[in-house]
Amino acid sequence: MDASSAQVKVVFTTNEEDLVLPESRRQLLVPADIKRYGLSRILNSESMLDTSSPVPLDFLANGTFLKTSIEEYLKSNGLSQETTLTLQYVRSLLPPVYEASFEHDDWVSGVDVLSSTSAAGLLAGDVAVNERVASASYDGLVRIWNPSGKAIAVSAGGKGEGHTQRINAVRWLSPTQLASAGLDRKVMVWDYKEANDGFSGSLKPNMELWGHEKNINSIDVNGSTRRILTASSDGRVGLWSASKRTAPQADPETLPSAHNTKRAKLSNAGSTAQRGPLAMIPLHDESVTAAIFHPKDSTVAYSASLDHTVKTIDLTTQQEVSRLTTMHPILCATALPGANLVAAGSSARHITLLDPRESAAATAAMTLRGHVNMVVSVAACPENDYSLVSGSHDSTCRVWDLRSTRTASSDEGNGNVSEPVYTIGREWLKGKKLPPAGDGAKVLSVVWDKTWGIVSGGEDKKVQINRGTGLLAL
Amino acid sequence: MGPSIPSRKRKEIVEEVVESDDEFGGAELEGILSQSEDESGVEESDSEGEEPELDEDEDEDEDEDEDEDEDVRSDGEEDGKPNGERKNGANDEEVDDDKPNYRIVKDANGGERYEYEEIDPVYDSDDTDAQGPVNTIGNIPLSFYDSYPHIGYDINGKKIMRPATGEALDALLDSIELPKGWTGLTDPETGKPLNLSQEELELLKKLQMNEVPSDDYDPYPDLIPYFTSIEEKMPLSAAPEPKRRFVPSKHEAKRIAKLVRAIKDGKILPYRPPQPEETEEEEKYYDIWANEEPQDRHIMNIPAPKLAPPGYDLSYNPPPEYLPTAEEKDAWEKLDPEEREKEYLPSQFDALRKVPAYGEFVKERFERCLDLYLAPRVRKNRLNIDPNSLLPKLPRPEELRPFPTVCQTIFRGHTSRVRTVAFSPDGEWIASGSDDGTVRVWALNGHQEWSAQLSSADEPEPVNMVRWRPSKDTFILAAAAGEDLFFIAPPIVSDATEQASRDILDAGFGYATNGASSAATTADGVKKEPPAKWSRPSSSLVAKGVLLKATVRSTIKTINWHRRGDFLCTVSPTGQRSSVVIHTLSKHLSQVPFRKLPGLAQTAQFHPTRPYFFVATQRMIRCYDLQRQELLKVIQPGARWISSMDVHPGGDNLIVGSYDRRLLWHDLDLSNRPYKTMRFHPEAIRAVKFHRGLPLFADASDDGSLQIFHGKVVSDLMENATIVPVKMLRGHKVEKKLGVMDVDWHPKHPWIVSAGADMTLRLWA
Repeated sequence: MDASSAQVKVVFTTNEEDLVLPESRRQLLVPADIKRYGLSRILNSESMLDTSSPVPLDFLANGTFLKTSIEEYLKSNGLSQETTLTLQYVRSLLPPVYEASFEHDDWVSGVDVLSSTSAAGLLAGDVAVNERVASASYDGLVRIWNPSGKAIAVSAGGKGEGHTQRINAVRWLSPTQLASAGLDRKVMVWDYKEANDGFSGSLKPNMELWGHEKNINSIDVNGSTRRILTASSDGRVGLWSASKRTAPQADPETLPSAHNTKRAKLSNAGSTAQRGPLAMIPLHDESVTAAIFHPKDSTVAYSASLDHTVKTIDLTTQQEVSRLTTMHPILCATALPGANLVAAGSSARHITLLDPRESAAATAAMTLRGHVNMVVSVAACPENDYSLVSGSHDSTCRVWDLRSTRTASSDEGNGNVSEPVYTIGREWLKGKKLPPAGDGAKVLSVVWDKTWGIVSGGEDKKVQINRGTGLLAL
Repeated sequence: MGPSIPSRKRKEIVEEVVESDDEFGGAELEGILSQSEDESGVEESDSEGEEPELDEDEDEDEDEDEDEDEDVRSDGEEDGKPNGERKNGANDEEVDDDKPNYRIVKDANGGERYEYEEIDPVYDSDDTDAQGPVNTIGNIPLSFYDSYPHIGYDINGKKIMRPATGEALDALLDSIELPKGWTGLTDPETGKPLNLSQEELELLKKLQMNEVPSDDYDPYPDLIPYFTSIEEKMPLSAAPEPKRRFVPSKHEAKRIAKLVRAIKDGKILPYRPPQPEETEEEEKYYDIWANEEPQDRHIMNIPAPKLAPPGYDLSYNPPPEYLPTAEEKDAWEKLDPEEREKEYLPSQFDALRKVPAYGEFVKERFERCLDLYLAPRVRKNRLNIDPNSLLPKLPRPEELRPFPTVCQTIFRGHTSRVRTVAFSPDGEWIASGSDDGTVRVWALNGHQEWSAQLSSADEPEPVNMVRWRPSKDTFILAAAAGEDLFFIAPPIVSDATEQASRDILDAGFGYATNGASSAATTADGVKKEPPAKWSRPSSSLVAKGVLLKATVRSTIKTINWHRRGDFLCTVSPTGQRSSVVIHTLSKHLSQVPFRKLPGLAQTAQFHPTRPYFFVATQRMIRCYDLQRQELLKVIQPGARWISSMDVHPGGDNLIVGSYDRRLLWHDLDLSNRPYKTMRFHPEAIRAVKFHRGLPLFADASDDGSLQIFHGKVVSDLMENATIVPVKMLRGHKVEKKLGVMDVDWHPKHPWIVSAGADMTLRLWA
């Protein structure tokens, strides 16, 4: 072995507290042709970490994952074999394995999860929270699913007291309450009750919130303050209260009953309480595609629009604080709590990470390239601060690691560029090529939860669940 | 008198002759005869011919002539001439031979005197040497003879009579008919007109020009040095030789001494130093490449072309990869020797001793020498122009982003070819019309939101055109199916918008009856059918949102809204006189603006800002001012069959698509001919469209592709529009020779949607 290959001196470092090596063992001479698996075995051995069960590890050399042997890495980077190589080891990533699919009658436009680790579940505190998935479909129905793939509850249809047209988004306000909004310009707040056995439940409309003039594209909720944010095609961001008591009366002009169309009469048949917005903030010239709360500060929100801008809103004054202008229409946005960034998916097939802080030198911190169609949904990883998942019309969800970056060529518009770590295709398309233009398999919505994993819904009328933990090294 | 003019001229001479020699006339004549052997016959006839003239002239002359004749006869008799045939040339010869041509007369001293016969140089005489009678008066002014009838005396002492001055008529005739050699001068000696022959004239001319007067004249004769080189046998001077001829010259001695001194000093070499003549006589070779030192590259310094060092393939035993395969050998042999890349084929030998002699050696050496010899000594500076640099500078497509590049959504649902597509004014919806008779409204992500079957499902009438009303407050779609024009308010928007749309559509119902009745009464009693009938469609359609219907006389192919949304024009190419109809939505009124159109109307459009109206027939586009009701402009795109056109939102430019595969850009300010003609498609172009906000336009072709262009129009009048093709979008399948039927741009974003004959719509971004 000595004759065939040289030895390379490596220094192991890590950020993972439970896997730190003793100071004395950090430096090691390893054969130059060793690969990730060999290095992982060495680290897991008794002399090194002495783990009870082997922890698969990945190695970052100078910011990139080591995929070849050390020798080849050195050669490709033009380094001498004499150099001491610093390897940062992280827990290895397991691919997001497919777990289940829930069939729908129509396109699934929105999904949200409820679990003990989800935002709504965390609010519930110590109370045991069932694991549920809420899905919003183009047939105007909200469905609640249990992990075994059974629809526990379905909302009332248009004839009753539900949505008359397609729903674009649904969110859990709390384990017993949901909010949904769609093309019929209203936000429905639902009360969700579940039988004790957990196999049946009911969705009762609690409240209708009227105020938008056009299609509501997305909603976001803040469970602690019970506020709802909506983004609508009429260029306004709506701020609503989720409780009947605090919600103001609706402006009668905005109610469907103001216009004596047949449809209005139909939709007005129910006796659900109708409320208006706390604030209706006209911010954009074009459709607002996303309005999200700041993950830590409930008085700050971000809105993204097709007019290429992402704006920071102060919800107390309902004023625009700052704006970030990008090059492309933005179709979705999410806040990355750890990195203080806003990830915005654009129609130009990439995700821009925007730094909304006013002090930021560059607005676009990074560009994530890899999708081949419009990016319509992004969700931050619940476990760490540096990864996210995006859903796109190209029928895939892609998982990104913000630590693995390279400098972009001028053709790509400079800055840092990252490429996807995992690409999750639709399960039924497995082994096939991506359909052209995402035909029939567009992903419309994706969420990432620690318990549930990556849950995505799309044009294929399915909610697909992929394992989502341990995908990326901590 | 009817004398011919030449005879008159002759007459003068004749007169002169007659007058000058009264007595010797006969003798002269004879002498002439005697010398002119050949022409005697001619002479005879001539003289005969002249006689009557002479007779006619003067009686006197006649008499004299007779006298002459007598004299001649008498002379002949005197000479003892036996026969009287003096006019026979043959006899005359004999006479000449026998007789001397002189007479022996006694002179005053009683001695013998030879008297030669007088030669009379009369006109008929061919004695050219003989001058006329020469005046012998000498250098005396002629005016001395003014008072006399004669002007002098000839050599024989006879009077030379003053020539009769011609009558006025003669002078006039002379002046009119200029004889050859006429000078207009009078010879002072003879008093007759001075005639010069051609030779004399030429001589004069030459003298005038300071040239050599004649060819034989030698202006530079050899000098004959009589007094220097020719030693005379009899010298002119008999003086003895002077002393100095024998004494050496002191001056020369001085000079020689000087030269000797110079030679001694070595200032003058007395003889040429011996030269190495042998080397000079040998051939001299110049090695221009000798003393070659590495120099900087310069125009005047060209290194000798070097032979490339031998490579592996020149080895006698090259590695196998250098050996040519059989095919390569074949190819090499088939090529012309000049075209071969290498002059040799690598070949393999086991040992060096098996290598044959190199057959091409002499040829190769020769060519090498030729190469060196013919190698240019001076670097030729060729004008190196990259042909690409002559092309107009167009920006690269990458710099012209954004523009659509890939298909992002496929809209499936239509069961037949999709004829038409349109983005709603707010850009959130797409309406499409198809051969299956349905109008569908889609969300941008490909979800069908609304659909209506406008005609019966069994025999669907193709929906030829759908166009949204250009207003964001309402949500009205106009759709043409067959002869019907439908106005639709799809119920997918807010109730307020829908109500506003319904109100707009219903507003005209009050007017409809009024308008119809007024129209009917206009044509003096004759019931005139209005161009369109406005009505409610069937109740099932009303329930779907199809609220209004206008039926025209023939199938509508094109709809275009006015920007305010109150007017729209429909074009039905087969509609003859009512092919172009302008509808007023608020009054439910339809009007036919044109009585007659030259050619079949293809499409029509309102100007985006001014009250102009464009109507395209098969070959021309006419621009009318609707306010002043006049024809503004006729645009001739030069296409054989226009399929579609679109006016730039700025209003000054126009694109035209034609079935003969051309896309034409017109600048309305410039000319009525296209500013640019583009042919990128192998099939007909069906639709063209400008983006309303961005500098983009697109066309759709039957070859299943869309071509995206960057078309920037600047307000600066001096600058032309920049037109750059940026992207060809392919994806639609061609079915029954139909590809993409229609395109439309998103009102704001660089997104385009296309309707294909393959039953799909595609959104490109």
